[in-house]
Amino acid sequence: MRYHILAAFYIGLIAGCARGPDVEFNTDIRPILNERCVGCHGGIQRQGDLNLLFRSEATAMAESGKPAIVPGQPGQSELIRRVAHSDPEYRMPQDDAPLASEEVRALRQWIREGAAWEQHWAYVAPERPSVPAVSWPGWPQRDLDFFILARLDAEGLEPSPPAPCPTLVRRVTLDLTGLPPEPEATHAVCNGPLRYEQYVDQLLDSPRYGERWAAMWLDLARYADSKGYEKDIGRTIWRYRDWVVQAFNKDKPFDQFTVEQLAGDLLPNPSEDQLIATAFNRNTMTNTEGGTDDEEFRTAAVVDRVNTTWEVWQGTSFSCVQCHGHPYDPFRHHEYYEFFAFFNNTADRDFDDEYPTLPQFDEADVAEGAALLEELEALERAILRLAEEDAIAKARQLWETQLNRPEVIGQVRNMLQNEVRRVSLVPEAQRDAAQRTLIASVYARISPDSQLIALRERQGDIRRTMGELNPLQTPIMQELPAHQRRRTYVFERGSFLARGEEVTAGTPRALPPLPEDAPRNRLGMAQWLVSDANPLTARVTVNRFWEQLFGTGIVESLEDFGTQGYAPSHLELLDHLAVSLREDCAWSIKCLLRSIVTSSTYQQSSSVTPELKAADPYNRLLARGPRFRLSAEQIRDQALHVSGLLSPAMYGPPVMPPQPDGLWNNPYDGRRWTTSEGDDRYRRALYTYWRRTIPYPSMVTFDSPTREYCVSRRLRTNTPLQALVGLNDPVFVEAAQALARRMASRGEDAPSRLAAGYVLALAHMPNNKARQTLMSLYEEAEAHYREHPADAAALTGAAESAELAALTLAAQAILNLDSFLMKE
Amino acid sequence: MNLLHEAHRMRLGHVTRRHFLRSTGASLGAIALASMGSVPQAAPDPLTPKRPHFAPRARRVIFLHMAGGPSSLELFDYKPDLARLHGERCPDSLLEGKRFAFIRGVPKMLGPQATFQRYGESGAWVSNHLPHFAQVVDEVAFLKAMHTDEFNHAPAQLLVHSGSPRLGRPSMGAWVTYGLGTENDNLPAFVVLLSGGAAPDAGASVYGSGFLPTVYQGVQCRSVGDPVLFLNDPQGLPRSLRKASVEAINRINAQRHADVGDPEILTRIAQYEMAFRMQTSVPEAMDIAKEPEYIHQMYGTQPSENAFSNNCLLARRLLERGVRFVQLFHWGWDSHGAGASEALNDGFLKRCKETDRPVAALILDLKQRGLLDDTLIIWGGEFGRTPMLENRTGVDNPFVGRDHHSDAYTMWMAGGGIKRGITHGATDPIGYSGIRGRVHIHDLQATILHLLGLDHLRLTYPFQGRDFRLTDVHGKVVHQVLA
Repeated sequence: MRYHILAAFYIGLIAGCARGPDVEFNTDIRPILNERCVGCHGGIQRQGDLNLLFRSEATAMAESGKPAIVPGQPGQSELIRRVAHSDPEYRMPQDDAPLASEEVRALRQWIREGAAWEQHWAYVAPERPSVPAVSWPGWPQRDLDFFILARLDAEGLEPSPPAPCPTLVRRVTLDLTGLPPEPEATHAVCNGPLRYEQYVDQLLDSPRYGERWAAMWLDLARYADSKGYEKDIGRTIWRYRDWVVQAFNKDKPFDQFTVEQLAGDLLPNPSEDQLIATAFNRNTMTNTEGGTDDEEFRTAAVVDRVNTTWEVWQGTSFSCVQCHGHPYDPFRHHEYYEFFAFFNNTADRDFDDEYPTLPQFDEADVAEGAALLEELEALERAILRLAEEDAIAKARQLWETQLNRPEVIGQVRNMLQNEVRRVSLVPEAQRDAAQRTLIASVYARISPDSQLIALRERQGDIRRTMGELNPLQTPIMQELPAHQRRRTYVFERGSFLARGEEVTAGTPRALPPLPEDAPRNRLGMAQWLVSDANPLTARVTVNRFWEQLFGTGIVESLEDFGTQGYAPSHLELLDHLAVSLREDCAWSIKCLLRSIVTSSTYQQSSSVTPELKAADPYNRLLARGPRFRLSAEQIRDQALHVSGLLSPAMYGPPVMPPQPDGLWNNPYDGRRWTTSEGDDRYRRALYTYWRRTIPYPSMVTFDSPTREYCVSRRLRTNTPLQALVGLNDPVFVEAAQALARRMASRGEDAPSRLAAGYVLALAHMPNNKARQTLMSLYEEAEAHYREHPADAAALTGAAESAELAALTLAAQAILNLDSFLMKE
Repeated sequence: MNLLHEAHRMRLGHVTRRHFLRSTGASLGAIALASMGSVPQAAPDPLTPKRPHFAPRARRVIFLHMAGGPSSLELFDYKPDLARLHGERCPDSLLEGKRFAFIRGVPKMLGPQATFQRYGESGAWVSNHLPHFAQVVDEVAFLKAMHTDEFNHAPAQLLVHSGSPRLGRPSMGAWVTYGLGTENDNLPAFVVLLSGGAAPDAGASVYGSGFLPTVYQGVQCRSVGDPVLFLNDPQGLPRSLRKASVEAINRINAQRHADVGDPEILTRIAQYEMAFRMQTSVPEAMDIAKEPEYIHQMYGTQPSENAFSNNCLLARRLLERGVRFVQLFHWGWDSHGAGASEALNDGFLKRCKETDRPVAALILDLKQRGLLDDTLIIWGGEFGRTPMLENRTGVDNPFVGRDHHSDAYTMWMAGGGIKRGITHGATDPIGYSGIRGRVHIHDLQATILHLLGLDHLRLTYPFQGRDFRLTDVHGKVVHQVLA
């Protein structure tokens, strides 16, 4: 005993003397725990009744009867004893390599200093960082440049020179509008009167701006024109797509943009637009297969809404928590269902008719439609009033006593049966208002009372008349009335059939609480997301837009800001942008984008020197400008635009541009792809009919997701199938034909026509080698087509002109150049 | 950035950056680059052949998916007791807690709509509907007690091919290609062929790449029309000019690479070359007209038709040319009896006739070419069918059918690494539940990967913060069928 005390004393003394630099939880300790410990002692498995994710649990008594961590007392801490144990039988991690001695030392020091748990950086609200000093004060044009340059200074790197003007004009035009610049615009900025900043403002004001950014948002909103699952039949929800385009064009502040989509229906006197916005969460899939349980798929839709909300606004993979505690991050299993409760009380329930919907009548029918809707509501009120009158109430009481008979309870809709049974057991006098309304309204639907029957028949007539008017029905979110509210339970292991404890709506403890004055419903939840106290929303949002411009986020994992996501490459820059979006820009996205695209960082040349490639192969430090492949939408739109085919029409039902025959071959429905006529063949990709199980081929080939679920990041692949699209897809062949005609009208001879095509497509003149290469291709082709006029007619789609055919082939080459497919 | 993140990023970077450059000697790009005087730096290629986890028994796979769910009770699972119960009301005990797609109320039992006989040295039971297949049963291992979790087509098909009933996971062929790479530079590594008049219910997701890079997705080849979408040059463009135009594109791209140094440009050059080669190699591989007459007779091919027999022959040609994974879907086995095309006494018989000869031919043809030893063949649907009659349309229905059934059905495997002429597992006397040797779909997947030299526990991919695998958190290799 005496020996032990002495030994402990000496060890303490030695350790005290050898005390190293400060140990920080986030940088020194959490990585050890995450990598070596929490797999068994974390959110999924709590072996030995130990969970190292939360300090309260790590310092509590474990199964062994000893706490793993005794703050201030490494010698008393079971954790230290076990990781440092000499006997592999007892040593942790079990059956694995022991911790390195520095790691054990760090853990010891950290416990001695009190075992403080630091919040993961992403869960601490950002504060405006001071702008750092830099080696070259003349370089930055925007505050953000200081953060980039300071880091380059630290790494011994220098920024690249500015990109050539035409390249920059093409880059910013593609970034802000999704389309390439007109040659005239490039000329005005590079040689003429238009300042770059003025041009940026023009782009931000263009209606094309909203279309470009809607394409990004629709991946997050999992927007599609079909319902998903096996039958994947059509859905009419394009008014939501149009709402997104308009919201971006109007620069609706991001906080409003958020609240309207998540809870527009709960705003006071919501406008029609605000109701359409809520279709964001009606883009979940609806299962119309035979034999499926509507409650199962209603629950699946609610789960999707929870996961999507967390991915889009909080950059957190909350879906883990559906089945168990989060493996690495401080979210508990029941907190998932507290959040689930926010979404669990909407009126939709996986019905084939997509109820509830917002009708939009043809212009001629607007007055009649409104009158019908009003009468429907009046009838509903009348039915409820009548149902509470004595005679009917008496009949109802009798009916209530027979609810145990299958044919009686069978009259009640499945989802209400349990609740009706429960209420029927409550003595009439003790029922609250919601319970009285529930049972009265349920009974009113089946009562044989002649007055009620008449009212119900009248309701049916009105619904039929409305059906004949055939209004456009857009699915929207609608909260259930108080008497129909659902209870929410924890689902054990995530299964909707395994109900655990009941929970009420709430937000996870690891994040700041709901604002005091916020209602405890979806609206309050949405306000919480965009409140100043929420540490994630602004960061996640600026990171998303940054990724679109630079190709990689400051946090590379846009979808995961948790401890297993990537660490930010520039944390202070991220915080600067986040605070600036909220405070300087008042959540204006145009303001955010303007500050980025007018920075020196953004305007750098994207050329890579061998030194830079070695020092920073993925361009995370941004010592050069971005260079990466355009999105599927941009590739189509750009080809149609430079060839002059692109239709400027906006909005409306989705269109069906040409696609190969035989793709829509679902055994369950006879719907066919009917190629759109006229200009609708050439609409922006955003308006192409999006069927989840049979996506438009050139879109998926260029990595668009299928939109079953929210997707934050598209992979960018580079495959031979993409080459085949660019070379042979009739859409791209048609674009080459049209570009050739444009080239012919813009020059007198072959060299000037080829140069004109190059400028139309790439915004700059070809250099000599490119000129020669195109010219020899042109000459070889022209020789062939002189000999074979029929070939010329076939390739141009019209004239037997050898020149035009040769130009078509050259145009095709230009439309397939790497520089054309890339943003440079 | 800590080490873990670094490793994670490297791994993701490794597989998402596409570098297809190969040492193809005098290929177009190599010429273009040589003329530019620059030497491309070889970068990791996501399709480079990779070493498996252990020695493989099979090098390639052909999966014959009979989409719709063929009835084992009319093909392999002989149930004389069910014949005796024909027309009886189904006892309540069989219905409790079960969900069916269409059966409502209390159905009647339906006896086997076939006659059975034992064949070969193994004495396997095969019905009169598969006379050709009956001659090759000694090559085959039957799995008589398969079971699945899903009773609707799309989720059940997704479960078979991606290990999950929900959309979004990579398919087996994508996993295998990710794990093993390709052995043919001119053809896709994972090819899909469809027949039967309709695509699989779950669409392209059953051969998609899910969250894996798209380079691993199955490429649908078509036996009629363009064999690969957009494979044909536009009208009026001769091959010589296509070659000239691809060369021009690559030459300008190579020069761009010299100027801006982005390695992605080299990848694009290689992909345009590959596309150009595919324009020749795919139609060549897909052209079955060159096969000798006796082969056509053997398979019963039907010229210029989108027939299952043609696809079987195509599959063999693709496998011979180094394609790793060939996935066939033949739709039309959904024998509810609601109409002629889906009746056991009509459409089902046609499906049997369409597939019997080519399936037997495929086994024999691979064998005579010495390919069966290291080619794995799998046959089966996404689920089985009930021993009860489904009668949606009323008493006088001339058509006989069965509903979807997930608890018991037959699949078979043959070829590389599989025991010959055995039966594993058995069902109860009416074929309603497995009573011995039950094999879940995840077990089948683990077994397929195992035969290819891949450990299903170790073939993982990080996505959304965790490592995913084909078998999710399930799957046991069925050692009883391994040779």
